[in-house]
Amino acid sequence: MSKRSEELDATRADVHTPSRRDFFKKTATLTAGAVAAASVVAPVALSADEKKAKCDGDEKIVNLNPWETKWGYPVSEKLYGQPSPFERHVVRRTTPILSSGNYRASIAVAPIQDLHGIITPNGLFFNRHHGGTPDIDPKQHRLMIHGLVEKPIVLTMDELKRYPSVSRIHFVECPANGGPEWRGPQFNSIQFAKGFMSCAEWTGVYLKDILKDIGLKPEAKWMLAEGGDSSHMGRTIPVDKVLDDVIIAWGQNGEALRPEQGYPIRLLVPGWEANLCVKWLRRLEFAKEPFYAKEETSRYTALRKDGKAIQHFYVNEVNSVITNPCPEKPWTDLKKGDIVEIEGLAWSGHGTITGVDISFDGGKNWVEASLKGLVLPKAWTRFSYIYKYEGKPLLLSSRARDDAGFIQPTVMEERKAVGVEGVYHRNGIHTWEVNEKGEVSNVQVLS
Amino acid sequence: MFKSYRKIISTAAIAALCATAAMGYETSRKYDFNHKYVIDGGVTYPVKHGKTAAYYVNEKAHKTHFNLGRKAKKCEIDAWNVDVMYYGEGLPEGKGSVEEGEEIYEAKCQQCHGDFGSGSGLYPHLTAGNAYEEHETLKNQRWNPGDDEGPHRTFGSYWPYASTAFWYIKTGMPHQAPMSLTNDEVYALVAYLLSINEIKVDGQEVDDDFVLSKENFTKVHLPNENGFVPDIRGKNGLENVRKFWNADPKTLRENFGGKKLKDPKKRCMKGCFKGEPKVQRIAHAIANFNPPLGKAPKQEASAQPSEGQKLYKDHCAVCHATDSMGAPKVGDKAAWAAVTKKGMDKVLHNAIHGINGMPPKGGTNLPDDKIKEIVEYMVNASK
Repeated sequence: MSKRSEELDATRADVHTPSRRDFFKKTATLTAGAVAAASVVAPVALSADEKKAKCDGDEKIVNLNPWETKWGYPVSEKLYGQPSPFERHVVRRTTPILSSGNYRASIAVAPIQDLHGIITPNGLFFNRHHGGTPDIDPKQHRLMIHGLVEKPIVLTMDELKRYPSVSRIHFVECPANGGPEWRGPQFNSIQFAKGFMSCAEWTGVYLKDILKDIGLKPEAKWMLAEGGDSSHMGRTIPVDKVLDDVIIAWGQNGEALRPEQGYPIRLLVPGWEANLCVKWLRRLEFAKEPFYAKEETSRYTALRKDGKAIQHFYVNEVNSVITNPCPEKPWTDLKKGDIVEIEGLAWSGHGTITGVDISFDGGKNWVEASLKGLVLPKAWTRFSYIYKYEGKPLLLSSRARDDAGFIQPTVMEERKAVGVEGVYHRNGIHTWEVNEKGEVSNVQVLS
Repeated sequence: MFKSYRKIISTAAIAALCATAAMGYETSRKYDFNHKYVIDGGVTYPVKHGKTAAYYVNEKAHKTHFNLGRKAKKCEIDAWNVDVMYYGEGLPEGKGSVEEGEEIYEAKCQQCHGDFGSGSGLYPHLTAGNAYEEHETLKNQRWNPGDDEGPHRTFGSYWPYASTAFWYIKTGMPHQAPMSLTNDEVYALVAYLLSINEIKVDGQEVDDDFVLSKENFTKVHLPNENGFVPDIRGKNGLENVRKFWNADPKTLRENFGGKKLKDPKKRCMKGCFKGEPKVQRIAHAIANFNPPLGKAPKQEASAQPSEGQKLYKDHCAVCHATDSMGAPKVGDKAAWAAVTKKGMDKVLHNAIHGINGMPPKGGTNLPDDKIKEIVEYMVNASK
């Protein structure tokens, strides 16, 4: 048995692998037809030995692999599916620098280097919370809507889900994505430099559909959304957004929300700060005046160079990053002359991505990339560029624009406008430095 | 600013009429429900021909009344509606002094927030000294790698309103036991916060005898009350926000760094800066990642956690999972070897009666035998 197949067996120790004796015991009871089919198994092993003697090809081709000569696991196992054991390294990651000491007011970032397409699997969706993740029994959970409404109401989760649902694909991004790098690059990793975000198909009810039933009073201008977890986190949202596209979501990529995403329900505020998408949602209050909750004063406000701080900084502005190559997915295996696809993600909370440019010299000259796949409002959008690798050092940048007319600023344009102490909402052009070996590093271009 | 706002509106109005973006989606810069500009400066996707952007819509579903749920009772609303508005609405009856606040702080807050709110580890500091002096640091910018005097953002220097602290402490603190403080205790803690930030109320710096109550709360003004843009307060609040995010391109740049193009076709494609690119590389890499990049997490032990381990997680990990406040970190063999040198009886005695920064029983009300189980777990996990 080759070394690799031994490894595989070790990872599959939990799986029942029938022995040869078991096999004969069982086939004895099978029908004649099945026995005839099963009897084909034995001669194949012999012919492979013969092949091996004659061929110096890839032993993964000329030898038999263990998974082709014995059963896999039955459908009655793994009734909730799990990724392949060979994908165990594809996980959310944390770092103490972005965590409180007890990991209960912390963030785990998404491995965007390993994601495909525009949908983030639920188990890899980035996770930020302020008091740990609770396991809430949906039967014990209520949603209250009160304040400046004609009829304050309480809904059970079953009642809420009787409202007609909508499903929308939207990214959810922490406005501190890239925030530790205002003064310069710090993470040689796309997961930590840009992984404070994910994208999913959300299913829920438009909040405006409920408000139509209970009557929003004309003097209502602001809505407080508050969670039922131990942090009781609240945020203020203007009614304009509520009446546009805000969703109370219970579904995430076809299944119920994960506990880390607010099970049983969360607010989904398309395109806006993930922090506004309050998880474990239990209370919505409408008022004439804004609420000044803790996470919209002490945090999630961006201090400008004039000493004033931007509050109610809603939108995650137009942004992009090249995901291939990146520090975790370098070009070290490429040879001069190889043709390779440069791929990346673009997104904008202001609207829909209309185009992405790529630069090989840090933003001095640009070429237009292709968008590919679904291009949806306030959703991750893939871009692609086919490139002939020359083995020379590169400064690889991407620059996205959207249908609201915004384009990503350069790092220096952004710094000059607001300074370097803002923490939040950094969307300056991102650059990877590719050296002659194909290794990739996180840099910023200050030209 | 108002004039330039009008200018962008007139050009935006033309764009709104054109209404079809590059992707072919119907877009509008104005909402169909109030005909005002999209509050965040972006676009909206009205339902046209049965679709919003790429999504088909069952229009009847959104016009039908379902009237689900039931009317909320007043006592239910009162139970959850404990937020406090910046002008004092929602403050409960009650009062507390700085002196009382200090006692509560030392018993329930200091283990994370440090002596006199000075912070510890990655738990926030609650003061950096005199709030009025610290407020001046908000203009500090660390432009160059060597600069170390950044802005000091604390409750005293940065937060606009003390109401936020009352509401937050009431519903979110202590972090491992929220909703456990009485209203009087919260008043006392806010009074203590004012004191360690040297805040003046009615021209007088608050001293140990100062009593904060529902009656005098709105006399508290923090130095950064007017330090935020756009101004969201009062009857123009919402419109101030709309103007801020819908300003003309130049003002947008000043407002938040946003960059807008008149014509995307005219964006710079060649020679966008002079000379060679100036590259800033990583000076001090942060690479303390868990799990390390490319590696799988360590297999979690499948055995059920012991009672001691469970209680440890709920009550003690807040300090002992790190070495915050000098608490010996669980798993740190050297630190625990020193702790257990004088024998288990002494360790248990210290756990029950308190030692150094740790209050008796770590601030919990657990019975002695549970403390013993926790201590045994912590010692065993650190061998």
